[in-house]
Amino acid sequence: MSGFSTFLAKEFTEIRKTWRIWVIPGMLLFFAITSPIIADLTPAIMASVSKGQPGVVVTMPPPTWRDSYAQFLKSLSQMVLIAVVITGAGAVSGERSSGTAVLTLTKPVSRASFVLAKIVSQAGLLVAATVLSTAVCLVLTMSIFGAAPLGPLVASVSIWTIDALLMIVVMTLFSAGFAARGASAGAGLGFFFLTLLISIWPPATRYSFVGLTSVSGRALMQQPMGAFWPVATALVAGVLCAWGAVRVFERQEI
Amino acid sequence: MTDAPAIEITRLVKKFGDTFALDGIELAVPHGSVFGFLGPNGAGKTTALRILTGLARPTAGVARILGADVSTAGNVVRSQIGYLPDVPGFYPWMTALELVEYAGRLFGIRPTILRERAGSLLEMAGLSAVRSKVGGFSRGMKQRLGIAQALINAPSVLLLDEPTSALDPIGRREVLEMIASLRGRTTVFFSTHILADVERVCDTVAILDRGKVVANAPIAELKRRAAVDRLVIEVDGNPATLISEIEKRPWVRVVERSGEQITLGVTDLQSAQRELPVAIGAAGLGLKRFEGAEKSLEDMFVELVRNAEPPSRRVAEPPR
Repeated sequence: MSGFSTFLAKEFTEIRKTWRIWVIPGMLLFFAITSPIIADLTPAIMASVSKGQPGVVVTMPPPTWRDSYAQFLKSLSQMVLIAVVITGAGAVSGERSSGTAVLTLTKPVSRASFVLAKIVSQAGLLVAATVLSTAVCLVLTMSIFGAAPLGPLVASVSIWTIDALLMIVVMTLFSAGFAARGASAGAGLGFFFLTLLISIWPPATRYSFVGLTSVSGRALMQQPMGAFWPVATALVAGVLCAWGAVRVFERQEI
Repeated sequence: MTDAPAIEITRLVKKFGDTFALDGIELAVPHGSVFGFLGPNGAGKTTALRILTGLARPTAGVARILGADVSTAGNVVRSQIGYLPDVPGFYPWMTALELVEYAGRLFGIRPTILRERAGSLLEMAGLSAVRSKVGGFSRGMKQRLGIAQALINAPSVLLLDEPTSALDPIGRREVLEMIASLRGRTTVFFSTHILADVERVCDTVAILDRGKVVANAPIAELKRRAAVDRLVIEVDGNPATLISEIEKRPWVRVVERSGEQITLGVTDLQSAQRELPVAIGAAGLGLKRFEGAEKSLEDMFVELVRNAEPPSRRVAEPPR
């Protein structure tokens, strides 16, 4: 496993030394900081908007910690997932087009090790950044709203993390399959919007991974989650996509 | 180590669609030799090297390194080879030392040995004092770094794709000397289109053209073969009439004129030796010089590559 561990160590060093350290962690931290602030200011903003329009009266309940968490989750489910798609698009294809895949793969490193190290490093970065940003969101929510229960935030963010990890594996599959970064990004965005579309259909939401966003929302509202099928199918899909990425890359000529 | 050649290629075919990049090539590279893989651009050299390194798969045939089939042996073969691609790709955020050490760690080399070996290889590559990131390196620096990383595991077989193409004359000479110094210890297989490099360091050469091996022999043998069908004659007058006369002979392949000197490529040396003095006399010219000339590898290369085309006679005159 020296090939896997060395390549994985290279991946983490690359994350630390290049732009990759700023994109996903930067976005997560940005939303962790701005979500409680936006939740706090929303009633005031709406009031100022309605003031300029005679006859329009907007009445909003006072914001709570739940609004802060909901704002954070909304940003994760949209902006951060799209960022995962864009950054993951070049995971394998970028190494291939720059010639660095040749440098590594002509050493005793299997293609499976190469692909799996890519998945593990991206997953590691995402999980670490998510834990940090969740903690930041919790502290800021507490300081602004005076209450910040840990359970709903951890449960909902954990479910979202499963969704994001699945997206990382899917993007690794696309990146292994398409030679161009743009093509894999396009396929990834197509997959993202397709899952959004399918999630309109209730049985799909209940029994497949497209329901993870709904489960996350229910966790936040402290309602029964019904997480089994969405989580189980996400795990199965993740394993299948990782296996597929390895197989696709093994068959490719570089 | 087995008795098998270090590199053995048997009826290797690689097709891209309907195009044959490699068309049944056969090669055997002895252990410890420096083998030149020569060919014009697009001949299939890089494709053959990609197959040898396991980056591409053959359509048919077998390529073996140290007795193991490269298509199936995986890490067993890769742990014993060093490879420099024609355009080396490196992580731009690494320094030269970091990159060579990264390559060494992929081979599982122990840290103490790795540090020492990386230092001496960078010294050899003239990069030991360079602290900047690889992203800012010139092509020549990248080429030298590529050679250093290819040697980090002290490979049994070193595969080099155009190793001197981006180097200045001094760098080129250093690399060629380094390649020559490996003779006997490491099998070096290097592709190039620079004939002078092959002449300088190789024991044996294979010439590849449009996916086929058109020659495969020790350098000395190739040059010896080439020398017998080349004649230089010098006459004491304008040889224009003589040239138009001898061009008609069936044994003439190439006629080159330089002043009063004519260089001939012939297919039948005996006929040439018999008929040329007669033709010179008939043209009213005196014969000043008549001798066999040693052909350079370049002449040989050009001729072999042109031979694959329909035969045609050419008269080449230098610009006046």
